[in-house]
Amino acid sequence: MFGQAILNDNLPGAKQHHWSPYTDNGGTIVAVAGDDFAIIASDTRLIQGYSILSREQTKLFKLSEQTVLGVSGCWCDVLTFTRTLEARMKMYLHEHLKPMSTPAVAQLVSTMLYHKRFFPYYVSNIVAGLDQDGKGTLYSYDPVGHCEKNRYRAGGAAGAMLQPLLDNQVGLKNMKGGVLPDITKEKALMVIKDSFISAAERDTSTGDGVIINIITKSGVEVMHFPLRKD
Amino acid sequence: MSILSYNGGCVLAMKGKGCVAIASDRRFGVQTSTLAMDFQRIFEMGPHLYVGLPGLATDTLTVHERLRFRLNLYELRESRKIKPQTFSAMVSNLLYERRFGPYFVEPVIAGLDPVTWEPFISAMDLIGCPNVPEDFVVAGTCAEQLFGMCEALWEPNLEPDSLFETISQALMNAFDRDAISGWGGIVHVIEKDKVTTRLLKTRMD
Amino acid sequence: MALFELCGIHSRSNFKTTEDDHFNGEMDSLNIIGNPTQLALPPLGCPNNKNLVDEHGREMKINYDHGTTTLGFKYQGGIVLAVDSRATGGQYIGSGSVKKIIEINDFLLGTMAGGAADCTYWERVLSKQCRLYELRNKERISVAAASKLLVNMVYNYKGMGLSMGVMIAGWDKKGPGLYYVDNDGTRTPGQVFSVGSGSLYAYGVLDSGYRHDLEDEEAYELGRRAIYHATYRDASSGGIIRVYHIKSTGWVKISEQDCTELHYQYEEAERGSK
Repeated sequence: MFGQAILNDNLPGAKQHHWSPYTDNGGTIVAVAGDDFAIIASDTRLIQGYSILSREQTKLFKLSEQTVLGVSGCWCDVLTFTRTLEARMKMYLHEHLKPMSTPAVAQLVSTMLYHKRFFPYYVSNIVAGLDQDGKGTLYSYDPVGHCEKNRYRAGGAAGAMLQPLLDNQVGLKNMKGGVLPDITKEKALMVIKDSFISAAERDTSTGDGVIINIITKSGVEVMHFPLRKD
Repeated sequence: MSILSYNGGCVLAMKGKGCVAIASDRRFGVQTSTLAMDFQRIFEMGPHLYVGLPGLATDTLTVHERLRFRLNLYELRESRKIKPQTFSAMVSNLLYERRFGPYFVEPVIAGLDPVTWEPFISAMDLIGCPNVPEDFVVAGTCAEQLFGMCEALWEPNLEPDSLFETISQALMNAFDRDAISGWGGIVHVIEKDKVTTRLLKTRMD
Repeated sequence: MALFELCGIHSRSNFKTTEDDHFNGEMDSLNIIGNPTQLALPPLGCPNNKNLVDEHGREMKINYDHGTTTLGFKYQGGIVLAVDSRATGGQYIGSGSVKKIIEINDFLLGTMAGGAADCTYWERVLSKQCRLYELRNKERISVAAASKLLVNMVYNYKGMGLSMGVMIAGWDKKGPGLYYVDNDGTRTPGQVFSVGSGSLYAYGVLDSGYRHDLEDEEAYELGRRAIYHATYRDASSGGIIRVYHIKSTGWVKISEQDCTELHYQYEEAERGSK
């Protein structure tokens, strides 16, 4: 919108050059919350157009001992956003002498995204962690800060590809039997791994590897496994 | 909104062990308003040959009738049933004849070879570029969702019953994440000695 | 707040001491809690989402969550609000479980249609302002005043691309109040409203069954049925159907049902009656 605003003079012979403040750097985030844990995972590929900028760039940001943020989209916005968020969390820590709880971070993320309503951060966010009662929680966002609490969520480039799979395998949608038992950590890890393997087959911006963060009351455990690199 | 997604709808096909399955949703709408829930976009072209034509509904009907016409001529001239490969080439030809003013359909073909009973599936874009894979093909407004589901659920050598379960789950969960597909589903499982057609009970929103 | 102003401390959370602090600009991106009605503006040009292009000049669109059916009506027993729960970004269903009735306080509810983030954010700001009003004036805010606070806030951003069509419903000294507010700055009281992409389908059912003297149960069922029919025909409505009732003692949640469950229930009843 900004490039065009200046160059819209339509002079005869004038050639329009477009410039955009946004670029899509790809990447996929998947998260699942259980009774006493939350798992969030991202792929490690960073792209621009058809080029691969990095094969080992995590898109997970550990915000505290019990909160991890997953961000994908425009990488420059990701960096700006996460740095501002970290600053805000530090200010909260010094003012209240305690770290922010996951629901508080979730609300702050929403407000910060909405603050840029007219020049949005081009990002897809998922906040995963434990709430004050030690239960796994997970919040997902649209680029301007609409926030929803979920049990499972896929976001980013292959979000639309993986969400129906999670609906089916974690949410047990279209399955007979009705009752939803809380998902076990093993099952959740298996679904997350399978989903990334599927995404790497069909989405060019997802691949190379996956970083998984498992958040439990004893802290954040980090796991890594490789994906196809083509 | 693209003209291909004006009416909504999706089709997918999968290979199994000695069988193939083809499935689609049943919605016919105009953009976001749903007009019918019994629309047919998969057509029987022979005892073991089906074609799905998701895309613009008017072209679904036209392309189906023109294919029927060409197929009848072929079978009269040759006095034998068409092979799915040959039929696929025929569809591709028909579409490429309209290279610069295409029909807005993305066909999916599923069938068994009338002689060897070898399973065959193929899909093509709206100007007839064929894609003949070993596992599954998808097309329509929720192709991305279908890819995600199929990539995770499909495995080689599925028996007809498991193939039905797999294709149904893939279809339903995919179109439940798409606003303009759904409102019922239909699945055909094609085997050597029978074709089983089932309607799916799905979400109606 | 008054104490803060007397002491010359504007907002401790920002570490700011004076207005002319040269860090003001730098800290702007951190300053949201200070004044939530002040949003960041883009560096150039008119802020709307048209003309957003990528490097190649192709139009780029950020898909925000959209699409809805909501309704509300007054009757002898108070106000009934009913909503669906689908959020679509383009044709992709982003969520099927959005809470489109926002609980502002025990006597006020807001519905959301249009941009999901716009509605939730501004109704959250509204709920803060209603609470402040209550503390300052030792009485609850009227529905008229609450809806006017909201419309005044969004009017400041008129033409800048906000998208919201909301109903503010509640119970105050004058009894039940129902207002429609949108991003153009419209604010109007009424008896029966339906807002969103599926509103025409909902109106069809609502108008054919609406009377002022409906019993409570009849009113709930009318609202529920109107939303159900909208989810059936409108592709961008669906999910869970929520019904709320506002009476003199405040609001109560009546039901939350999946519309698929309702569909097969209604179909069964239809078959039984034949």
